[in-house]
Amino acid sequence: MTTMPEIMSDTQLQGYTDEQKYQVFNKEFMPHIDSMYNFAFRLTMDEDDANDLVQDTYLKAFRFISSFEQGTNAKAWLFRILKNSFINDYRKKSKEPAKVDYQDVETTYNSDEAAETEHTTDLRFETVQDMIGDEVASALNSLPVDFRTVIILCDIEGFTYEEMAKILDIPIGTVRSRLHRARNLLKDKLKEYAASMGYNKNDE
Amino acid sequence: MEGRQTTTPKKESCDQQAKCLKRIQSILDGGATDEEKQYFKDHIEVCQPCIDMYHLEKCIKEALQGKVEKKCCPEKIAAAIQAEITK
Repeated sequence: MTTMPEIMSDTQLQGYTDEQKYQVFNKEFMPHIDSMYNFAFRLTMDEDDANDLVQDTYLKAFRFISSFEQGTNAKAWLFRILKNSFINDYRKKSKEPAKVDYQDVETTYNSDEAAETEHTTDLRFETVQDMIGDEVASALNSLPVDFRTVIILCDIEGFTYEEMAKILDIPIGTVRSRLHRARNLLKDKLKEYAASMGYNKNDE
Repeated sequence: MEGRQTTTPKKESCDQQAKCLKRIQSILDGGATDEEKQYFKDHIEVCQPCIDMYHLEKCIKEALQGKVEKKCCPEKIAAAIQAEITK
Protein backbone atom coordinates (compact mmCIF):
# COMPACT_ATOMS: atom_id res chain seq x y z
CA MET A 1 0.00 0.00 0.00
CA THR A 2 2.72 2.43 0.96
CA THR A 3 4.40 4.10 -1.94
CA MET A 4 7.74 5.79 -1.63
CA PRO A 5 8.37 7.49 -4.95
CA GLU A 6 10.73 9.97 -3.35
CA ILE A 7 13.07 7.13 -2.52
CA MET A 8 12.58 5.10 -5.65
CA SER A 9 13.29 8.02 -7.95
CA ASP A 10 16.65 8.84 -6.41
CA THR A 11 18.65 5.80 -7.29
CA GLN A 12 18.78 3.01 -9.78
CA LEU A 13 17.19 -0.18 -8.52
CA GLN A 14 19.67 -2.67 -7.14
CA GLY A 15 19.21 -6.32 -8.04
CA TYR A 16 19.97 -7.86 -4.66
CA THR A 17 19.50 -11.56 -4.00
CA ASP A 18 17.60 -12.42 -0.81
CA GLU A 19 20.85 -13.17 0.94
CA GLN A 20 22.34 -9.86 -0.15
CA LYS A 21 19.25 -8.06 1.12
CA TYR A 22 19.78 -9.42 4.62
CA GLN A 23 23.47 -8.65 4.42
CA VAL A 24 22.90 -5.03 3.39
CA PHE A 25 20.17 -4.66 5.99
CA ASN A 26 22.32 -5.94 8.84
CA LYS A 27 25.55 -4.30 7.78
CA GLU A 28 24.32 -0.92 6.57
CA PHE A 29 21.00 -0.30 8.35
CA MET A 30 21.04 -1.97 11.75
CA PRO A 31 24.11 -0.10 13.10
CA HIS A 32 22.04 3.11 13.00
CA ILE A 33 19.17 1.81 15.08
CA ASP A 34 20.05 3.75 18.24
CA SER A 35 20.37 7.04 16.34
CA MET A 36 17.09 6.27 14.59
CA TYR A 37 15.39 5.56 17.89
CA ASN A 38 16.74 8.72 19.45
CA PHE A 39 15.46 10.73 16.48
CA ALA A 40 12.06 9.00 16.66
CA PHE A 41 11.81 9.64 20.38
CA ARG A 42 12.73 13.32 20.04
CA LEU A 43 10.13 13.72 17.28
CA THR A 44 7.26 11.88 18.94
CA MET A 45 8.23 12.49 22.59
CA ASP A 46 6.72 9.13 23.40
CA GLU A 47 8.45 5.78 23.85
CA ASP A 48 5.66 3.67 22.35
CA ASP A 49 5.35 5.91 19.33
CA ALA A 50 9.13 5.89 18.91
CA ASN A 51 9.13 2.07 19.03
CA ASP A 52 6.44 1.89 16.36
CA LEU A 53 8.06 4.54 14.21
CA VAL A 54 11.45 2.82 14.24
CA GLN A 55 9.91 -0.53 13.49
CA ASP A 56 7.81 0.84 10.63
CA THR A 57 10.80 2.65 9.21
CA TYR A 58 13.03 -0.42 9.23
CA LEU A 59 10.36 -2.56 7.65
CA LYS A 60 9.85 0.03 4.92
CA ALA A 61 13.61 0.20 4.44
CA PHE A 62 13.70 -3.55 3.94
CA ARG A 63 10.77 -3.48 1.55
CA PHE A 64 12.40 -0.76 -0.54
CA ILE A 65 15.97 -2.01 -0.14
CA SER A 66 16.37 -2.35 -3.91
CA SER A 67 16.39 1.44 -4.15
CA PHE A 68 19.31 1.69 -1.74
CA GLU A 69 22.72 1.74 -3.34
CA GLN A 70 25.47 0.17 -1.22
CA GLY A 71 28.23 2.55 -0.25
CA THR A 72 25.90 5.57 -0.26
CA ASN A 73 24.81 7.25 2.95
CA ALA A 74 22.60 4.67 4.66
CA LYS A 75 22.04 6.77 7.75
CA ALA A 76 20.71 9.75 5.77
CA TRP A 77 18.57 7.40 3.67
CA LEU A 78 17.03 5.85 6.79
CA PHE A 79 16.50 9.20 8.48
CA ARG A 80 14.66 10.39 5.40
CA ILE A 81 12.29 7.44 5.52
CA LEU A 82 11.74 7.95 9.24
CA LYS A 83 11.03 11.65 8.79
CA ASN A 84 8.51 10.91 6.01
CA SER A 85 6.82 8.20 8.08
CA PHE A 86 6.57 10.60 10.97
CA ILE A 87 4.95 13.29 8.85
CA ASN A 88 2.58 10.90 7.09
CA ASP A 89 1.60 8.54 9.87
CA TYR A 90 2.46 9.93 13.28
CA ARG A 91 2.27 13.67 13.26
CA LYS A 92 -1.51 13.67 13.28
CA LYS A 93 -1.71 11.56 16.40
CA SER A 94 1.38 13.00 18.06
CA LYS A 95 0.88 13.81 21.72
CA GLU A 96 2.58 17.15 21.31
CA PRO A 97 0.54 19.80 23.12
CA ALA A 98 -0.84 22.88 21.36
CA LYS A 99 1.10 22.72 18.14
CA VAL A 100 2.55 26.03 17.05
CA ASP A 101 2.12 26.67 13.39
CA TYR A 102 5.57 26.65 11.84
CA GLN A 103 4.72 29.33 9.32
CA ASP A 104 3.60 31.68 12.09
CA VAL A 105 6.82 31.26 13.96
CA GLU A 106 8.87 31.65 10.81
CA THR A 107 7.04 34.83 9.86
CA THR A 108 7.48 36.29 13.31
CA TYR A 109 11.19 35.68 13.28
CA ASN A 110 11.56 36.93 9.72
CA SER A 111 9.76 40.15 10.38
CA ASP A 112 11.74 41.16 13.39
CA GLU A 113 15.44 41.20 12.64
CA ALA A 114 16.08 43.49 15.61
CA ALA A 115 14.73 40.94 18.03
CA GLU A 116 17.05 38.33 16.51
CA THR A 117 20.10 40.40 17.25
CA GLU A 118 18.97 41.60 20.62
CA HIS A 119 18.26 38.32 22.30
CA THR A 120 21.48 36.69 21.14
CA THR A 121 23.58 38.71 23.54
CA ASP A 122 21.78 38.39 26.83
CA LEU A 123 22.17 34.67 27.33
CA ARG A 124 25.63 34.03 28.69
CA PHE A 125 27.63 30.99 27.68
CA GLU A 126 28.52 30.37 31.32
CA THR A 127 24.81 29.99 32.03
CA VAL A 128 24.52 27.26 29.39
CA GLN A 129 27.67 25.60 30.70
CA ASP A 130 26.05 25.37 34.13
CA MET A 131 22.93 23.64 32.82
CA ILE A 132 22.46 19.90 33.01
CA GLY A 133 21.40 17.74 30.09
CA ASP A 134 17.76 17.47 31.15
CA GLU A 135 17.42 21.24 31.21
CA VAL A 136 18.86 21.58 27.72
CA ALA A 137 16.64 18.69 26.55
CA SER A 138 13.54 20.40 28.00
CA ALA A 139 14.32 23.56 26.07
CA LEU A 140 14.84 21.52 22.90
CA ASN A 141 11.63 19.54 23.43
CA SER A 142 9.61 22.71 23.82
CA LEU A 143 10.40 23.85 20.26
CA PRO A 144 7.91 23.27 17.44
CA VAL A 145 8.75 20.01 15.72
CA ASP A 146 10.20 21.49 12.50
CA PHE A 147 12.68 23.55 14.46
CA ARG A 148 13.45 20.71 16.81
CA THR A 149 14.13 18.47 13.83
CA VAL A 150 16.86 20.64 12.29
CA ILE A 151 18.64 20.99 15.60
CA ILE A 152 18.56 17.24 16.21
CA LEU A 153 19.86 16.49 12.73
CA CYS A 154 22.62 19.09 12.84
CA ASP A 155 23.77 19.31 16.43
CA ILE A 156 22.95 15.89 17.83
CA GLU A 157 23.40 13.68 14.76
CA GLY A 158 26.04 15.77 13.00
CA PHE A 159 24.53 15.72 9.51
CA THR A 160 25.90 18.24 7.00
CA TYR A 161 23.67 20.91 5.49
CA GLU A 162 23.65 18.92 2.26
CA GLU A 163 22.52 15.73 3.98
CA MET A 164 19.87 17.63 5.91
CA ALA A 165 18.56 19.14 2.68
CA LYS A 166 18.11 15.62 1.30
CA ILE A 167 16.55 14.22 4.45
CA LEU A 168 14.08 17.08 4.72
CA ASP A 169 13.51 17.66 0.99
CA ILE A 170 14.26 21.37 1.27
CA PRO A 171 16.97 23.57 -0.31
CA ILE A 172 20.24 24.14 1.59
CA GLY A 173 19.39 27.83 2.01
CA THR A 174 16.21 26.84 3.82
CA VAL A 175 18.17 24.44 6.02
CA ARG A 176 20.46 27.28 7.07
CA SER A 177 17.70 29.77 7.75
CA ARG A 178 15.54 27.24 9.58
CA LEU A 179 18.50 26.30 11.76
CA HIS A 180 19.20 29.93 12.47
CA ARG A 181 15.61 30.53 13.60
CA ALA A 182 15.51 27.28 15.52
CA ARG A 183 18.60 28.31 17.45
CA ASN A 184 17.20 31.73 18.22
CA LEU A 185 14.09 30.08 19.60
CA LEU A 186 16.20 27.63 21.57
CA LYS A 187 18.19 30.48 23.10
CA ASP A 188 14.92 32.15 24.13
CA LYS A 189 13.84 28.93 25.80
CA LEU A 190 17.19 28.44 27.50
CA LYS A 191 17.08 31.99 28.74
CA GLU A 192 13.54 31.62 30.08
CA TYR A 193 14.57 28.41 31.74
CA ALA A 194 17.70 29.91 33.23
CA ALA A 195 15.71 32.85 34.60
CA SER A 196 13.13 30.54 36.16
CA MET A 197 15.87 28.52 37.81
CA GLY A 198 17.68 31.57 39.09
CA TYR A 199 20.78 30.99 36.97
CA ASN A 200 20.97 34.66 36.01
CA LYS A 201 20.70 36.20 39.43
CA ASN A 202 24.15 37.78 39.21
CA ASP A 203 23.59 39.27 35.78
CA GLU A 204 21.83 42.45 36.83
CA MET B 1 53.75 51.74 10.92
CA GLU B 2 53.23 48.16 9.90
CA GLY B 3 55.07 46.81 12.93
CA ARG B 4 52.53 47.88 15.53
CA GLN B 5 51.85 45.08 17.97
CA THR B 6 49.67 46.94 20.46
CA THR B 7 46.32 45.37 21.19
CA THR B 8 43.61 47.33 19.45
CA PRO B 9 40.47 47.97 21.48
CA LYS B 10 37.65 45.70 20.43
CA LYS B 11 34.38 47.00 19.04
CA GLU B 12 31.66 47.05 21.66
CA SER B 13 28.84 46.76 19.16
CA CYS B 14 28.47 44.97 15.84
CA ASP B 15 26.44 46.52 13.06
CA GLN B 16 26.05 43.18 11.28
CA GLN B 17 25.16 41.01 14.21
CA ALA B 18 22.44 38.94 12.53
CA LYS B 19 24.67 38.21 9.52
CA CYS B 20 27.64 37.48 11.74
CA LEU B 21 25.56 35.05 13.78
CA LYS B 22 24.66 33.13 10.62
CA ARG B 23 28.33 33.01 9.64
CA ILE B 24 29.35 31.81 13.09
CA GLN B 25 26.77 29.03 12.95
CA SER B 26 27.95 27.94 9.49
CA ILE B 27 31.52 27.79 10.75
CA LEU B 28 30.62 25.74 13.82
CA ASP B 29 28.48 23.43 11.65
CA GLY B 30 31.36 22.90 9.23
CA GLY B 31 29.31 24.37 6.39
CA ALA B 32 31.01 27.75 5.90
CA THR B 33 32.43 28.91 2.57
CA ASP B 34 36.09 30.02 2.37
CA GLU B 35 34.89 33.60 2.13
CA GLU B 36 32.85 33.25 5.33
CA LYS B 37 35.80 31.67 7.12
CA GLN B 38 38.13 34.49 6.08
CA TYR B 39 35.65 37.18 7.09
CA PHE B 40 35.16 35.52 10.44
CA LYS B 41 38.90 35.22 11.05
CA ASP B 42 39.45 38.93 10.42
CA HIS B 43 36.33 40.09 12.21
CA ILE B 44 36.41 37.99 15.38
CA GLU B 45 39.66 39.57 16.51
CA VAL B 46 38.17 43.02 16.68
CA CYS B 47 34.52 42.56 17.58
CA GLN B 48 33.58 41.74 21.18
CA PRO B 49 29.88 40.95 20.51
CA CYS B 50 30.94 38.41 17.86
CA ILE B 51 33.43 36.80 20.25
CA ASP B 52 30.62 36.45 22.79
CA MET B 53 28.22 35.06 20.18
CA TYR B 54 30.82 32.56 19.05
CA HIS B 55 31.33 31.25 22.59
CA LEU B 56 27.60 31.02 23.23
CA GLU B 57 26.84 29.20 19.96
CA LYS B 58 29.72 26.80 20.52
CA CYS B 59 28.64 26.14 24.07
CA ILE B 60 25.02 25.42 23.08
CA LYS B 61 26.14 23.08 20.31
CA GLU B 62 28.44 21.24 22.70
CA ALA B 63 25.66 20.98 25.29
CA LEU B 64 23.31 19.47 22.69
CA GLN B 65 25.98 17.03 21.55
CA GLY B 66 27.36 16.07 24.91
CA LYS B 67 24.77 16.65 27.61
CA VAL B 68 21.42 15.69 26.11
CA GLU B 69 20.69 12.03 26.75
CA LYS B 70 20.81 9.81 23.67
CA LYS B 71 18.02 7.28 23.90
CA CYS B 72 18.91 3.75 22.86
CA CYS B 73 16.58 1.47 20.96
CA PRO B 74 15.11 -1.27 23.19
CA GLU B 75 16.49 -4.73 22.34
CA LYS B 76 12.97 -6.07 21.78
CA ILE B 77 12.41 -3.64 18.91
CA ALA B 78 15.58 -4.72 17.11
CA ALA B 79 14.56 -8.35 17.67
CA ALA B 80 11.02 -7.72 16.40
CA ILE B 81 12.40 -6.13 13.24
CA GLN B 82 14.69 -9.09 12.60
CA ALA B 83 11.83 -11.52 13.18
CA GLU B 84 9.59 -9.62 10.79
CA ILE B 85 12.03 -9.45 7.89
CA THR B 86 13.01 -13.11 8.12
CA LYS B 87 9.40 -14.32 8.15
